[in-house]
Amino acid sequence: MSNESKPHRGTIHVESAKILSHERFPGDQFVLRVAAPECAAKALPGSFVHLRTDPMLRMRRPLSIMRVSATEGWVDMLYKVVGEGTRLLSARQEGETLSMMGPIGKPFVAHPERPRALLLGGGVGIPPMVFLAEHLRRTGGFDPLVLMGSEVPFPFRARPSEIIVPGVPDGVIAAMPLMEDWNIASRLASLQGYPGVFEGYITDLARAWLKALSEEQRTQVEIFACGPHPMLAATAMLAREFSLPCQVSLEEFMACAVGGCAGCVVEVQEDNGPAMRRVCVDGPVFDASRVFV
Amino acid sequence: MNADDRDLLHVEFCGMPFDSPIVLLSGCVGFGEEYTRVAGFSNSEVGAICLKGTTGENRLGNQPHRVYETPGGMLNSIGLQNPGARYVVDNILPKLDFSETRFIANVSGSTVEEYVEVTRIFDDSNIDAIELNISCPNVKEGGAAFGNDPDMSARVVAAVRAATRKPLITKLSPNQTDIAENARRCIESGTDGFAVINTLMGMAIDIEQRAPILGNNQGGLSGPAIKPVALLKTHQVHQVARKHGIPIIGQGGVTNANDALEFIIAGASAVGVGTALFYDPLVCESINSGIADYLRRHQLSSIAQLVGTLELNSAISACDVCVE
Repeated sequence: MSNESKPHRGTIHVESAKILSHERFPGDQFVLRVAAPECAAKALPGSFVHLRTDPMLRMRRPLSIMRVSATEGWVDMLYKVVGEGTRLLSARQEGETLSMMGPIGKPFVAHPERPRALLLGGGVGIPPMVFLAEHLRRTGGFDPLVLMGSEVPFPFRARPSEIIVPGVPDGVIAAMPLMEDWNIASRLASLQGYPGVFEGYITDLARAWLKALSEEQRTQVEIFACGPHPMLAATAMLAREFSLPCQVSLEEFMACAVGGCAGCVVEVQEDNGPAMRRVCVDGPVFDASRVFV
Repeated sequence: MNADDRDLLHVEFCGMPFDSPIVLLSGCVGFGEEYTRVAGFSNSEVGAICLKGTTGENRLGNQPHRVYETPGGMLNSIGLQNPGARYVVDNILPKLDFSETRFIANVSGSTVEEYVEVTRIFDDSNIDAIELNISCPNVKEGGAAFGNDPDMSARVVAAVRAATRKPLITKLSPNQTDIAENARRCIESGTDGFAVINTLMGMAIDIEQRAPILGNNQGGLSGPAIKPVALLKTHQVHQVARKHGIPIIGQGGVTNANDALEFIIAGASAVGVGTALFYDPLVCESINSGIADYLRRHQLSSIAQLVGTLELNSAISACDVCVE
């Protein structure tokens, strides 16, 4: 049997990834850039990596990818310290290497017939939305809106947006600088009262935008989301309210990350009933209507 | 694997030729193709692959969380999620490349009848052997409930033995009083080989929630933490099995060639690798070359020459070691 009939083979690379930079942000957040050319060349928005955070901790930890440069061979990740693995990772220094597997998982798939891509990223769910936004910009033909929520300070210095977004309340002008540079509309949401940031849930901000669109414009919307479970549940409800397709990226405790152990499953509703699907290789991106029923 | 190593690493197990003593363990490698996703990984690096535990009907398995890292190992509680034996035979086996390695079905069930039914379905397939899972700690019925009772173990083995002519390997649980007695009963009932051991039962607790971390409350502990237990159990079963020429797959916490060699010296003819793949998916290559180097260094021409060569101190059997 030839490998042509086994396209899955050899798609995940194990690389000794040198840390190129490791920047700390308030709220125990870090942006990590590593050299990993194989992963950088093949990753797509929604892909994640599985890395050995420290030689003392043998199980790997999954982290979503925020940006890649295929030409320069680097991969960026944004993470927040939430446990032992990420705590040890946060102590790793520039110049050290990490064993990293990637890229892993089924990516987000945007559809040209729905160019108004609505990207929602909450907390450490922000990175795949940055990746998707950059990807859509490169692909062309899309007019995305990126909304980001965080209850700790955002891992970037927000700046006033020069891009008008319909439906957004007056004064909600804070945007992610990278998105402004890319000429992509973005806005921020938080309950913490940060200046220029929408005070409320990200889904409420999204609803305000959707309501401001014409019916015809709304038929061009597709939602993409990554973030905490309650945010994704609210996003799935929002999608249902407006009859919009919605893809969500999920996370779960993970062991192998190649589909071998079935440790990272999520229950989804399929046409013939409930099924347990692996977040690592069946996901991490799922149709929201199958997960939040 | 180079040609020189291949000659050294060849193992005959229950009449099956293995290109390496490494057996990838059930529950760690899905249905045989999953790890080939990793560039540089090849099924031909290992002697055999035990497929995911399979039952008569499809099972959804346990609720998440299903895995959790613990000191020196991990807990899992998957709960035998599988699509059912018929589906595996009809849809999965035809896609496996049997020229690369041997594939072993892992037969599970809630009743003796179910074990027999699943075995019959696999018997009528190109699977190389049957591993009888009477030691799964993560299901309420069957599994370890059978494996921890020598009478029940013997009943299941005898019933399955009558249902297949393929090599039959019985996977023993460490969660029992006398594993050697259980092994003796399984041999009487017709097992051709053993896999020693399955996971040890354990728990992890979230102190903030005051709740177990695993969805199933408890799970099976694997990884380096259980290696000393697995080595002793392998030694104990070997004491019984060697008299009958019954080979053992020694397993539990193998992460490198030295670990594998310890199991072989303790009495294992082949060595299971599971959790170590999660640490390093390319670990098999270094285990193979490390074993081959050791054999050369000790001027041994085969693994068989090393199996069970453990020399115990004085007259004390490891079975009698006591801390009191």
